[in-house]
Amino acid sequence: MDNAIYVGLSRQVLLQQELDIAANNLANADTTGFKFEEMLAGADKATPPAAGGIASTPVTFVTSNGVARDYSQGPLTQTGSPLDVAIDGKGFFQISTASGPRYTRDGRFSLDPTGKLVTMDGDAVQGNGGDITLDPKKGPVAISETGVISQGGQQVGQLSVVTFDSLAALSKDGGNLYRNDSNLTPTPSTAQVKQGMLEGSNVQPVVQITRLIEISRAYDAISSMMSDTANLSNTAVQKLGAVNAS
Amino acid sequence: MQALRTAATGMAAQDLNVQVISNNIANMNTVGFKRQSAVFEDLLYQTQEQPGVQSSDQGTVVPTGVQIGAGVKAGSVYRITGQGTLTNTGNALDLAINGPGYFQVQLPDGTDAYTRAGNFSLNAQGQIVTADGYLVQPTITIPQNSTNLTISQTGQVQVMAPGAATPTVVGQLQISTFLNDAGLDAQGNNLVVESAASGPATPANPGQPGYGVVMQGYTEASNVDPVSEITNLIIAQRAYEMNSKVVTTADQMLQTANNTKS
Repeated sequence: MDNAIYVGLSRQVLLQQELDIAANNLANADTTGFKFEEMLAGADKATPPAAGGIASTPVTFVTSNGVARDYSQGPLTQTGSPLDVAIDGKGFFQISTASGPRYTRDGRFSLDPTGKLVTMDGDAVQGNGGDITLDPKKGPVAISETGVISQGGQQVGQLSVVTFDSLAALSKDGGNLYRNDSNLTPTPSTAQVKQGMLEGSNVQPVVQITRLIEISRAYDAISSMMSDTANLSNTAVQKLGAVNAS
Repeated sequence: MQALRTAATGMAAQDLNVQVISNNIANMNTVGFKRQSAVFEDLLYQTQEQPGVQSSDQGTVVPTGVQIGAGVKAGSVYRITGQGTLTNTGNALDLAINGPGYFQVQLPDGTDAYTRAGNFSLNAQGQIVTADGYLVQPTITIPQNSTNLTISQTGQVQVMAPGAATPTVVGQLQISTFLNDAGLDAQGNNLVVESAASGPATPANPGQPGYGVVMQGYTEASNVDPVSEITNLIIAQRAYEMNSKVVTTADQMLQTANNTKS
């Protein structure tokens, strides 16, 4: 009979995690290239009724079926900065960091003191032939839709845009970077590169605010169910335990 | 509850965003000012269940995993070095750079700073100085009583000496470029100095490949676009409000939890 409280608790624990995720989505509503996430709630394997117990139906707890990430395209906004690039379609820029290769859709690049194309955190952006080095004296930088970088009409490099057969293989690493933990190898992407633009976050604030309401109401509903269950045992103890005075 | 702290990072980030926007708006009419933009990155993730781990002996794998993010942080506040519009002033010592480059200025302590604010004047010795009286490098002295001060697009400074029929060259202005303009360290007073991120200054005559030209009689207005700043301000304010809604929701849920046992 206490099962009702534990089932309710399993849902409440998950609701708190769902709130954490919605909070993270809203906090990143302005983060370049951010992809929003959602908790997939599911039913756990049913626990068969205990032998000799009074319950006759199996009990099913609520459990997490993982966090799904929505990789849909974020809105492209014009910045006018020649080294800002956005990906229109499925794909990631390849970044070389101290802890290994990383992938990102955040294309706010700049040059480091040696002229190397780097991210905001100073990690080298990878081209088809490794690091990309530009010389501002060679003239304005033009980046084609296939990622070819040219200066003064001469090709100086090509951005490497890659994708994976299954994007579920990627984990978020913070700093707008993704990490590949699987044994999938990146394959070249056919997505278009847009110069002078950035991809905004794909968080829809209205949807997230609605999620907040849903989460908070569901939490309340379960709390009252738990109080009702507690009252039930309370009443039972009082009624059944009462000494008949007559 | 993590949600409370996550929402706090979101509110702090939008607070910074409003500070940057208000500084842009305040400097809308500052000569040579370059607008700044705050950029954000997601914070670290707590991995509760690794994607791709085996979920059974048969080799089935968890397709998505459970990763919960901790919010947002300011990645950087970077300067957008786009050209500002040139405003005609008619003053012979107002100079604007059309294209890349910075005027080099010597600070009173002898170190160098750089500026795009070319509203220059002459000091008591006849040297070209900034509005704050700092010497423009290389130092150019305009002889007394000379007339018709002309500065060419390539930076050559010419004057007419009293009674002379042809102009005399009295100096050559130089401008400096950097590999990474956005990495220059802003000092206030329209000045920036070289930093480890900007790379060293490379001076050259204006008009060389990769360098802008000098326009006499013009100043460069700030590149702040008031309409987009106001729009950004609205977006920042709404984002701040939404993060505060998360705080309210988390608070309500904690209150519910506290009241469950009546």
